[in-house]
Amino acid sequence: MTESAVDDFPSEADMGSDVLVTADKLTKHFPVYGSGVVRRAVAQVRAVDQVSLTIRKGRTLGLVGETGCGKSTLARCIAGLIPVTSGKVYFEGRDITNLSRRAMQPFRREIQMIFQDPYGSLNPRRRVGAIIGDPFAVHKTSTGAERKRAVQDLMARVGLNPEHYNRFPAEFSGGQRQRIGVARALALRPKLIICDEPVSALDVSIQAQVLNLLADLQDDFGLSYLFIAHDLEVVRHVSDAVTVMYLGRVAEYGPGDAVYDHPRHPYSAALLSAAPAADPDSAAQRQRVLLTGDVPSPINPPSGCRFHPRCPKARDLCATADPPLETKAGDPAAHLTACHYPVQEGEILARAGRREHR
Amino acid sequence: MGMARFLIRRILAGLLVLWVVATLTFFLFFVAVPEGVVARNLAGRAATPAVIAQVERNLGLNQPKAVQYWHYVDHLLHGNLGFSYYTQQPVTTIIKQALPATISVVIGGVLLWLIAGLGTGILSATRARSLFDRVATVGVLAGVSAPTFIVGELLIVAVYVQLSNHGITFIQTGYTPITQSFSGWLGTMILPWITLAVVQAAVYTRLSRGSLLDTLGEDYIRTARSKGISERRVLYRHAVRSAMTPVVSQLGIDVGALLGGVIVVEQVFGLQGVGQQTVTAISQGDGQLVIGFVILAALFVVVANLIVDLSYALLDPRVRVN
Amino acid sequence: MSITEVQFQATAVEDAPAKAIEGRSQWQLTWRRLTGDWVAVMSMVVVVLICAFALCAPLIAAATGHPVYHAFPNKGTNAFGQPVGPGVNGFPLGTDAIGRDLLVRIAYGARISLFVGLFTTAVAAVFGVSVGLIAGYFGGWVDTVLARIIDAVLAFPFIVLALALAAVLNPSLGIVIGVITFFSWAGISRIVRGQTLSLKEKEYIEAARSLGAGPWRIMFIDIMPNLLGPVLVLATLYIPTAVSFEATLSFLGIGIPPPAPSWGNILAEAQDHYQTAWWYVVFPAAVLLITTLAFNLLGDGVRDAMDPRTERILAGGKTATRRRGKHRGLSLDEAILVGEQADLSVDHPISRTEEG
Repeated sequence: MTESAVDDFPSEADMGSDVLVTADKLTKHFPVYGSGVVRRAVAQVRAVDQVSLTIRKGRTLGLVGETGCGKSTLARCIAGLIPVTSGKVYFEGRDITNLSRRAMQPFRREIQMIFQDPYGSLNPRRRVGAIIGDPFAVHKTSTGAERKRAVQDLMARVGLNPEHYNRFPAEFSGGQRQRIGVARALALRPKLIICDEPVSALDVSIQAQVLNLLADLQDDFGLSYLFIAHDLEVVRHVSDAVTVMYLGRVAEYGPGDAVYDHPRHPYSAALLSAAPAADPDSAAQRQRVLLTGDVPSPINPPSGCRFHPRCPKARDLCATADPPLETKAGDPAAHLTACHYPVQEGEILARAGRREHR
Repeated sequence: MGMARFLIRRILAGLLVLWVVATLTFFLFFVAVPEGVVARNLAGRAATPAVIAQVERNLGLNQPKAVQYWHYVDHLLHGNLGFSYYTQQPVTTIIKQALPATISVVIGGVLLWLIAGLGTGILSATRARSLFDRVATVGVLAGVSAPTFIVGELLIVAVYVQLSNHGITFIQTGYTPITQSFSGWLGTMILPWITLAVVQAAVYTRLSRGSLLDTLGEDYIRTARSKGISERRVLYRHAVRSAMTPVVSQLGIDVGALLGGVIVVEQVFGLQGVGQQTVTAISQGDGQLVIGFVILAALFVVVANLIVDLSYALLDPRVRVN
Repeated sequence: MSITEVQFQATAVEDAPAKAIEGRSQWQLTWRRLTGDWVAVMSMVVVVLICAFALCAPLIAAATGHPVYHAFPNKGTNAFGQPVGPGVNGFPLGTDAIGRDLLVRIAYGARISLFVGLFTTAVAAVFGVSVGLIAGYFGGWVDTVLARIIDAVLAFPFIVLALALAAVLNPSLGIVIGVITFFSWAGISRIVRGQTLSLKEKEYIEAARSLGAGPWRIMFIDIMPNLLGPVLVLATLYIPTAVSFEATLSFLGIGIPPPAPSWGNILAEAQDHYQTAWWYVVFPAAVLLITTLAFNLLGDGVRDAMDPRTERILAGGKTATRRRGKHRGLSLDEAILVGEQADLSVDHPISRTEEG
């Protein structure tokens, strides 16, 4: 990564603006232990590698990528749920990287999470009222009747019947359970909600309802979202800015329209070409970009640009040098791409042959 | 290769256990008790002050604890388990006399328990929900609930007393060595074997039945059947083998229960084996014999666990690689 | 869709099935199933009766006029100095070796046995759950150390320790309770540790951590409610084991010291009289057997009531329950049908379709 990439992200001094969260060269490696008598790490899973991004106040940052690209790990690093190997996370200008549980406690009121599995993210043995009231209990903000009122208020907000306060999660449908999760996340009026694939496990019709709920809450409470998904159309619908990740690295980053209408990274372009288009005519016109090969293992990522073995445009340079994340010619300043040979305007990737490399 | 290393590791672990047990026993008998009581515990409840004094001299009880411990370990390593002042015999002699009875009970009892338990379990599983199965299940429930000594007592009242009242003397209490008379030996062993086996057989019937039923439900069994392999072969070549692993691991845990059962059975039937001698020793306050027995028991547990681990490793190759 | 449409859909779904507002907890469902199982109900009744029997021991002594430690050498023994049989001379179950009322002694023995069984199990459960939770949740070296200790305790033959202790100290109720508790907690701990290890990976635990909940709160408020079911089953099955242990120890002379009556030491004394006084052996043995059998059946019943679906899927996809010949009134297949229908109506009031 060259210096120019770093300049594109707000520095600590720059915090006054509308930036809520900054991740700076965040890296998370998981050790893989050998089978010897003494536990020694024989390899590292490079789940997240030198990822930098910004989340602005009241805005939604979408995070897309294939399964295994590290987006869930990244989310948990930002939320402070797993310790970071290197790099920094800033919240409202303050460094919250690897804080102790006690020091992190006040920030937990500001950063909340919604999880993917509506059936797994709620404790089956606790009543819904207790689950939603948990944040109040943990942070000791209200008790008794006052808490119950607050919980029922939240339930009404997210579209649940407050009289179901004493029910168990098993008695709700998947969509309703996600609403419970949203209510729980909303309880302490956080500033940031990290949504880890919140609608992936729901039927399409219910997805729309939950997404609309999230959008309304964002308007009402001025929330910021980090929205993780693998479904591109969902992400497009909700996001102001989008980050595309591949194998632990950021491939492309920029305002939603810019990335979707003018994808520069071959991976983004391939991903977008694979998404089903609503209009059958435009779908027929579109050329599918087919990627060859499987996603490599994050234990032993390819040299240079991690995408090069599957990239239709790859050349010698791609195998040796890691492309920096920077603005490419003709793009607005906020649109960054990590590619040596980005897709040009009007270029049809499907026709690009695999040139001689390696 | 993996097997040898596995064995060595287990043997070393066993030696460690033995050492820990010996040390703890030493601690209990020689350190945790106030001064005058140590000798009294070892000399016997009926011991006169003269005997107690003699004990103190012989064992060097006025020496520092570390020195005593050294002597203690030294004796153990040479196979000297001490001297029983109450009976005026070396402990090893008493144990040698009592051992044949105990061994007879253990071997016969364990065989019976395994055969009955696993056999009933396998038959029950293959004939699930049949009359046999249901009768067995009721029997299992009764067997699991009864403490061993109750079974023994009831057997005595129901079988021995009834038989001898009718003049049949085949079944006897007490112990007749096999060297003396085979039928006599058998007559003294049958009821103890049944007593020892009943409770454990019940547990193992339940365990093996459940395990085998789970295994028979697995896909690979279905595949074997669909390949046309005979039911008998499917059962014994494939299913039973993998169903036995939880049974074998349970065996390791049950070695302790076996010890308890042996002591009880000896006491009920008056077999004068190692277990009964120990119980008698306690009521007489003969501490040295108890120490000897504890060490012996630990040795037994370690060896038994080794055998179980070996069988487990033979059954399940994954264990060796680990 | 606008938000009003969202709200419309939400209320439409919410109003559709008219349901009770209170959710039915796991315990209420379990109790329902338990009371539907006649064998479990019977064993509950038996357990209650035995507890009542134990509690009423002083009343029984007063009613028969025979205090528990009082020997009646004249009317309590016959001409040869041997115990008299049931119904003779006002002794409902006969007498023991020195002419004490056997019924009264059995009743007082019940007090000891039940007290030991319940108390040791309770203490072992509390301790075992705590250790298991800590080991499972914290992991790392804490878990390694605790797990090894648990294994060591489990592998150790308890009777050897009991013998050694009895040789050094004098047998007493305290030693009995100590030894039994010492060996009971490990089994519970192991199960709890295993459950905790798997539960701690669940997403709702991660959610609790993301809220800022501390480890203790997570262990006792989030994880423990999910453990209580298996622990309850285990505890119910440990009670008869504890009762048996105490009886065995007393029988061997290293448990409750005479003259305090325990089913075990009564049977020890009875050993010398089995030829001439069958009641001396049969009655205490029968009570002990009935007690342990009742607790075992109850434990099985509780386990089946907690999770009726276990043991359903057996060989070759056939369905059978492990009801162990309990349903002698119904055929086994009818019993399964009843059980399954009960499940459907009670467990899932809303079918699992995706409704907003």
